Amino acid sequence: MFEFTAINFLGLLAFGVFIGLLGSAMGMGGGIFMVPFLVLGLKLPMHQAVAASLVAIVATSSAVAAVNVERGLANIRLGITLEVTTALGSIAGALIASRLPGGILQLLFALILFPVSALMFMKGKGLLLRHVPASRGGAKASAFDSGFFDPAIAAHTPYAVRNMAPASAVSFFAGSLSGLLGIGGGIVQVPLMNLVCGVPMKAAAATSNFIIGVSAAASAYVYFRKGLIPLELTAVIVVGVLIGSFLGIYALYRVKSEKLQVIFSALTLLVGIKMLMKAL
Amino acid sequence: MPVEIKKFDDKDFAKLIQRALLAGVFLSSLLIFTGFGFLVSGSPAGLGVLRAGMLALLLTPAARVIMLIYGYWRGREVYFALASFIVLALLALSALV
Repeated sequence: MFEFTAINFLGLLAFGVFIGLLGSAMGMGGGIFMVPFLVLGLKLPMHQAVAASLVAIVATSSAVAAVNVERGLANIRLGITLEVTTALGSIAGALIASRLPGGILQLLFALILFPVSALMFMKGKGLLLRHVPASRGGAKASAFDSGFFDPAIAAHTPYAVRNMAPASAVSFFAGSLSGLLGIGGGIVQVPLMNLVCGVPMKAAAATSNFIIGVSAAASAYVYFRKGLIPLELTAVIVVGVLIGSFLGIYALYRVKSEKLQVIFSALTLLVGIKMLMKAL
Repeated sequence: MPVEIKKFDDKDFAKLIQRALLAGVFLSSLLIFTGFGFLVSGSPAGLGVLRAGMLALLLTPAARVIMLIYGYWRGREVYFALASFIVLALLALSALV
């Protein structure tokens, strides 16, 4: 059982701030690092780590989405539509997770970190689409099409959204990852919206952040009802996450995240190996 | 021009969503801080207040979805109002299973 000391308290708070900064500056939920930190660092049982991570994701998403929505970055129509299948997947994932032994979950978590690390590397190296051409000859306009003001190029950036049917199907998978493993699913949603739907990176990150609040909440309810959320510990993390999120929104908005992505992809790979060694 | 009216609506809508999210986040932080205050002072109410704070946080996305239903309904975008409603129903379902 986790013991509360002043050092633990400050460590948890600081880690929460770090996760919040990640969430707001890079559009990540942070579950990728939160779960290993709780399992490997604090020796928390896997189920409790997943539950705590889900609550932290709800906190980051809510804080960051409030600002992104105002900036017009998040595509709400796209978000709410993908949320339907994401929420379904998220409930399914949480229900399956509550029936699986912690060791299996740890193994799954470790295995998923490898493709995640590769995706982050791709993102960092600019292999995803930053700007998508607005007009695609012959493409029909849809209700999901949107645009945002991109300060980097000082211009309004309109974009068309395509392939909603496959995107909804993949969102189910992203949601189930959230429920199973306590990661928001942004790591799937962002490349999905970018590569499959043709949404520019910035809008995809903001929309994903919007979506993961609901998917994390849907699975968090399941864990909450089963009494799996470690209250005090999660509350400390949440406070840290909120501080980090708001700090990140107002201080780190202009940070260049590409280089960080490459560093984090290496870190993810390392964490993946560590989790795998613990699970086996 | 109808385009301008729509833009104004979108802004209003964004504000509504933003307020719901911020209200949830602030309420839950307030409860969490109060909870910790109680815990430190040794009051038995601490855990209960913490639990309420956690619940307030977890209900924040649901409150945001309710705002979406309202906003899209008002904007006569039935498809998106329906999608929002389904999401809310799924959230309710997950709280029951």
